Amino acid sequence: MGRLRKDQFHLLLIKTHSLTGLIPVGAFLVFHLAANSLRTVGVWQYKLSIDLINNLPFLIWIEIIFIYIPILFHSLVGVYLSFQGKLNVHRYNYGRNWMYTLQRLSGGVIFAFLVYHMGTTVVPKLLAGKEQFEAAPFLISVMNQEFQTLGGRVIYMVGIMAATFHFANGLWGFCMSWGILVGAAAQRNASLIFILFGLVLTVIGFATVVEFSMNPIEVQATVPESF
Amino acid sequence: MEDKTVIIKIRQQDDPDSASYWQSFQVPCRHHENVISCLQEIQRNPVTLDGQAVIPVTWDCNCLEEVCGSCTMLINGRVRQACTALVEHLEHPVVLEPMSKFPVIRDLQVDRTRMFENLKKVHAWIDIDGTHDIGEGPVMSDSIRAQRYALSECMSCGCCLEACPQFTRDNTFLGAATFSQVRLFNLHPTGALAKEERLEAVMGEGGITDCGNAQVCVEVCPKNIPLTESIAEIGRQTSLKMIRDLFQK
Ligand code: HEM
Ligand code: SF4
Ligand code: SF4
Repeated sequence: MGRLRKDQFHLLLIKTHSLTGLIPVGAFLVFHLAANSLRTVGVWQYKLSIDLINNLPFLIWIEIIFIYIPILFHSLVGVYLSFQGKLNVHRYNYGRNWMYTLQRLSGGVIFAFLVYHMGTTVVPKLLAGKEQFEAAPFLISVMNQEFQTLGGRVIYMVGIMAATFHFANGLWGFCMSWGILVGAAAQRNASLIFILFGLVLTVIGFATVVEFSMNPIEVQATVPESF
Repeated sequence: MEDKTVIIKIRQQDDPDSASYWQSFQVPCRHHENVISCLQEIQRNPVTLDGQAVIPVTWDCNCLEEVCGSCTMLINGRVRQACTALVEHLEHPVVLEPMSKFPVIRDLQVDRTRMFENLKKVHAWIDIDGTHDIGEGPVMSDSIRAQRYALSECMSCGCCLEACPQFTRDNTFLGAATFSQVRLFNLHPTGALAKEERLEAVMGEGGITDCGNAQVCVEVCPKNIPLTESIAEIGRQTSLKMIRDLFQK
């Protein structure tokens, strides 16, 4: 009975890790990159999206339950999983073994990037005075600063690449571990489609970085101060 | 041809607990010679490169035609059978090491008990009549028979485990060969009677969820067994069982 419990826990842990990678963490990544790419569409469109999100009721709870806890859970289990195996791609130099290796390394890069990204955006936002606080002008000026230097741009591009790779390859891993892809040809074809998907996500992310870097903007508060 | 020689460098170990050490030997290299015949040459004349007479090197082999799997070892860092490793095709000097994922018994001999224990864990056999007659075996379609034939070629050599980044000495991962046998026996109409038991055995720590899909196993399997399809198929069977159990248990 004791052994059974431990095995059941293990199964649940790994399956939940796999599922959280897709939903909500992966879904959030897609949404996040897409929402920010509104920056390339136009200033008011981008501002509108920030206003919409930041005026959602119970925003902080939505973020904690659907974003922060799942990311933390997926990251911690991911780190644990990364230490279970022993990389051997130098000896067995095959494409999929590279993907296996990069899946683990990119997880580490994402983690470091998230600590930085949260530290420069979410933390100052939460620390800012609540009186007449408007997210859009605040966050846009933070992002202008982030993209002022070449170093900042590189950090974001590396973070985006790590995340899109990890998610695209993770989708393939998800389809493998849940037995959605079985035949060798199906596995190969799906990996091509996922590579394409990953590239599209990367382009969306990079376009936003380029737009911010080339063309910093300033916006006024939506609600006039006298309101 | 007769006057050509080859240097064989071997990682040796006197007993399971002692440290390993390297010794090199120079042996004549004949046309079409394999690694086993070099080892036999060393056995006949166990003198190292620097002229020291030593105890002959120990290794395992049996069929000499790549169907028993016993002569599996690392040859120039890669796992494969020594019987089909032709010396003319290898980089020189030829470096031989025992497999690293199993305990060494002596020199190139390793103890693959773990593989056998894993097969026992997953009920890798078909129950036939016990105290009662379970009747005639049902008919099997030819496509199932063909699939099972490919899977049944596994010789438990351990290549797929040696090359797997998830299979280590200090974990309990069952490995590709074991999952493939679960598929083999679940595909058999009579074997399927124990399907749930087999699936349960691979749904814990060290089970199917611990495969990281690095797919090295399928690259190194000398019998070309479709291991990654087996892994995905068992992934499907266990996922469906998990969902079923969630609503039924
Ligand atoms: C923050 C640090 C992170 C670490 C350390 C990490 C680690 C890992 C590891 C090791 C795996 C492979 C599991 C396996 O194949 O056995 C994995 C899978 C996955 N990850 Fe992450 N990850 C992180 C963040 C993320 C993020 C931000 C996303 C979303 C974009 C994500 C999405 C996925 C997906 C979809 C899978 C596939 C699940 C499966 O194999 O079934 N991960 N992660
Ligand atoms: S599956 Fe292939 S590599 Fe693995 S033990 Fe069987 S024959 Fe050897
Ligand atoms: S797919 Fe990779 S992790 Fe899974 S058994 Fe094969 S080599 Fe090991």
